[in-house]
Amino acid sequence: MRAFQAELSKLLSLPGIWLAVLIGAVAPAFIAALDSTAQKEDIIAGISTRLSEVGYIGLAVGVQGVIILGVLAVSSEYVTESSESGGGQQITTSLTAVSSRLQLLLAKAGAVTVISLLLCMVAILTTVSTTQLILGEYAPAFAWSKLTGAVCYWIFTALLAFGITVLTKNGVIPLTVLIMNSSVVSFSFLLSKVTTLAFYLPDRAGTDMFMIMSDRIHTPFTGGLIMFSWVAVLLIIAAMVFHRRDVAA
Amino acid sequence: MLTINNLVKRRGAQEILSGISFTARPGRVTGFLGPNGAGKSSTLRILLGLDRATSGSALIDGKPFAELLNPLTTVGAALDGSGAHRMRTGRAHLRWLARAAGLSRSRVEEVLDITGLTNAAGRRVGSYSLGMGRRLGMAAALLGDPEILILDEPVNGLDPEGIRWIRTLLRERAASGNTVLLSSHLMGELSETVDDVVIIHHGKVVANGTLAEVIGNHSTLEKAFFALTSERAGEMV
Repeated sequence: MRAFQAELSKLLSLPGIWLAVLIGAVAPAFIAALDSTAQKEDIIAGISTRLSEVGYIGLAVGVQGVIILGVLAVSSEYVTESSESGGGQQITTSLTAVSSRLQLLLAKAGAVTVISLLLCMVAILTTVSTTQLILGEYAPAFAWSKLTGAVCYWIFTALLAFGITVLTKNGVIPLTVLIMNSSVVSFSFLLSKVTTLAFYLPDRAGTDMFMIMSDRIHTPFTGGLIMFSWVAVLLIIAAMVFHRRDVAA
Repeated sequence: MLTINNLVKRRGAQEILSGISFTARPGRVTGFLGPNGAGKSSTLRILLGLDRATSGSALIDGKPFAELLNPLTTVGAALDGSGAHRMRTGRAHLRWLARAAGLSRSRVEEVLDITGLTNAAGRRVGSYSLGMGRRLGMAAALLGDPEILILDEPVNGLDPEGIRWIRTLLRERAASGNTVLLSSHLMGELSETVDDVVIIHHGKVVANGTLAEVIGNHSTLEKAFFALTSERAGEMV
């Protein structure tokens, strides 16, 4: 519990985390606002094919905030001080404060989970209000089951970013790949046009928890289960590597 | 009490430590000397559970680091640099550490005062000089008021006043029965501070004893050091 509190304190005292929080809280509402405005006429005319996605699209794309959170939680430990400052890394301090590496990793993952959960709840609040503000009575009803799905999607995505960064130690690669995948072009979406196996990739399966896409093949529950399995496997591998790895390596 | 027994560390084909053994006892400052690349930092990292030994043991009060319940209150360590993220303030760094060890916020202010960082505590670590970073590292090491201190090149980057401060602090810690192990390659400084000396070279202990024993017939610790390490270097060729 002390290790968990320390990790929360560590994350919240890092300026980069507040950027993540800002993006997570604002970006989904912003995207939902753009989408709602663009779709407004079609929705009012009753010809929109995307009514069920309105709002949720913001939550799907706005997941970047927690990606930054998950990556920074780990990469900040491995940032090397300049050689004039002695070239140290915070990870040495963290590991000399908590003797069990597994405990440290769990505490860190716990802190990322809690912040992602709170952040997604804020995002839902801003997104739903924005959509209702723009579409008024035409706004789709937001179902609790789907909103819960969105929360799970955010937490799982944060933990995927976290787990990958434990393996790479450096934030650049996971940040680039994951942000691109969630904003510019989704690799799994492109792949799903080629093979149905792509529907089992974590982001594609995870979106089925709260988005009703025309070509989806999973129920929200199976989608969630598939994404959770990815998270579980990745975190087990990350824990094994972290447990064995020399700091100097 | 720190006990290193037949410690071997290999990384790939390279043997960094070839079976070193020594102890650092309570009430004494033990200096750990060796040229760059001799294996000093590797030994300290293994002692702190940061790196794994290939074989042999490095124990803190008879236990490996991973078995310590609240490590910060048993062993304080300052390795490279400040050990803090540059975007965090010095105070925030010590506060998360205090939380991890279940210590109060007032203890954070105490160690800031001891290390002379109170005025800089609200600034980001990235703006600190090397000396201030080292002081922050010392503050972290002292936070849990541990019986054992493990310090890697603690005076590196400190001004003369800082060096004197460290020397006095370490002497005081030892005088009150604590164990202090520090690595350094500043001979003159070390001979003013330590009671016992361990010299390693190419991953092997080449001298181990009290300061007087290690100096032996040489006039200074520095002369003894070069006699021991260059002799060995000669043998290796």
